[in-house]
Amino acid sequence: MIGAMAVKRQRAERLADEELMPLVGGKDPEAFEVLYDRHGGVAYSLAYRIVGDRTAAEEVTQEAFISVWRSGARFDAARGSVRSWLLSIVRNRAIDFLRSKAGKAPKLDFDDDSALEQRPARERTEEEALRRETAAELRGALGKLPGEQSKVIELAYFGGFSHSEIARILGLPMGTVKGRMRLGLEKIRGELAEGLA
Amino acid sequence: MSGADHNSWSEDLGAYMLGALEPGEAETFTRHLEGCERCQAELRWLQPALHSLPESVERREPPPRLRESLMAEVRGEAERAAGAERVKHRRTLFPAWLLKPAAGLAVVALLVAGVIGYEVGKDDGSDGGPTTIERQVDGIGVKMVQEGSGGTLQLSNLPQVPADKVLEAWVEREGEVEAVPALLVPDRDGHAETTIADMSGVDVVMVTEEPRGGSEAPTGEPIMSMTVQ
Repeated sequence: MIGAMAVKRQRAERLADEELMPLVGGKDPEAFEVLYDRHGGVAYSLAYRIVGDRTAAEEVTQEAFISVWRSGARFDAARGSVRSWLLSIVRNRAIDFLRSKAGKAPKLDFDDDSALEQRPARERTEEEALRRETAAELRGALGKLPGEQSKVIELAYFGGFSHSEIARILGLPMGTVKGRMRLGLEKIRGELAEGLA
Repeated sequence: MSGADHNSWSEDLGAYMLGALEPGEAETFTRHLEGCERCQAELRWLQPALHSLPESVERREPPPRLRESLMAEVRGEAERAAGAERVKHRRTLFPAWLLKPAAGLAVVALLVAGVIGYEVGKDDGSDGGPTTIERQVDGIGVKMVQEGSGGTLQLSNLPQVPADKVLEAWVEREGEVEAVPALLVPDRDGHAETTIADMSGVDVVMVTEEPRGGSEAPTGEPIMSMTVQ
């Protein structure tokens, strides 16, 4: 029995995420396990970034992956990668969690992340190592944004605040907040395009 | 739409992508987006920036217990789903009403194509006496004696069943499976016997192992399945 599971696991490891999803939709635990091993780290990290608490981050990550397990068949490859889809589920769950805990303020800067970067982290694969590099670059890209732009993006994406709430928090006109969001995303996009060039 | 008109939509795009529009605004923007190729193109261009945001967070190792707990839940659900699928398969073979409680006696069944047996002897009752069919089915001796409208099922060389198990018998009649109202417990020599009150139209006789007290639905493959026509 264990042998059969190991063989299924090895087969699943050779598949791309998009090829794993039909198996996950067909309730294949080994395919799901591979999916978790590939993306569980970033999913948990994102959840932690939003909710700021280990136990809550575990809860959010578990709920998100169970949701993927139960709705794997709903993944639409035409709308983006599995990873982006999965992380959007994690983000939405985490924001829901935040909203259910009224009054919880999101973190607004990367200071904690910089400190955590000093910690040794196990890198399972070259791909993961590359992702870590990319993440560091992205932190750089986000960090390069003018504070006024990164702040509204963080409040929206990691804090789940609406543009009108952000306008109220920062004492800015709503149009200004929306303009900064748009400009900030454009700049990150520009950084990414440069990185690829 | 003029360029100035479009600018207001374009300005909303960032907030829309970040999920920061108010619900009513988001619905309006979604409707606009469906018909605006320019906004669609801008959204496609900006999407990598949005997708980069979760990648930008500092990595933390999830605790091993998260993986363990997740996989335990997933494997449990997969097993339950597989079990439900097996029952569903059986229900397609048996009418639902047959699987309803039968006064605590449950029975089991399944006709299995390919059950291997060989006929040891047969008396077709052409002389007006009882009809007897004797076969070995998967090592189990089966003797089916039909007389009048009823019959007796005699089994030998049965394996001993655990203390918490019993054997249950089913008959298939015109494609439908019916419970035989008796539970069987092999004696120390591996013999067991039960009476089947109505053998008219019975095509197959089957026996399965079930939890003590019987089952309301089949829980296992038959240990014996024999055609009697």
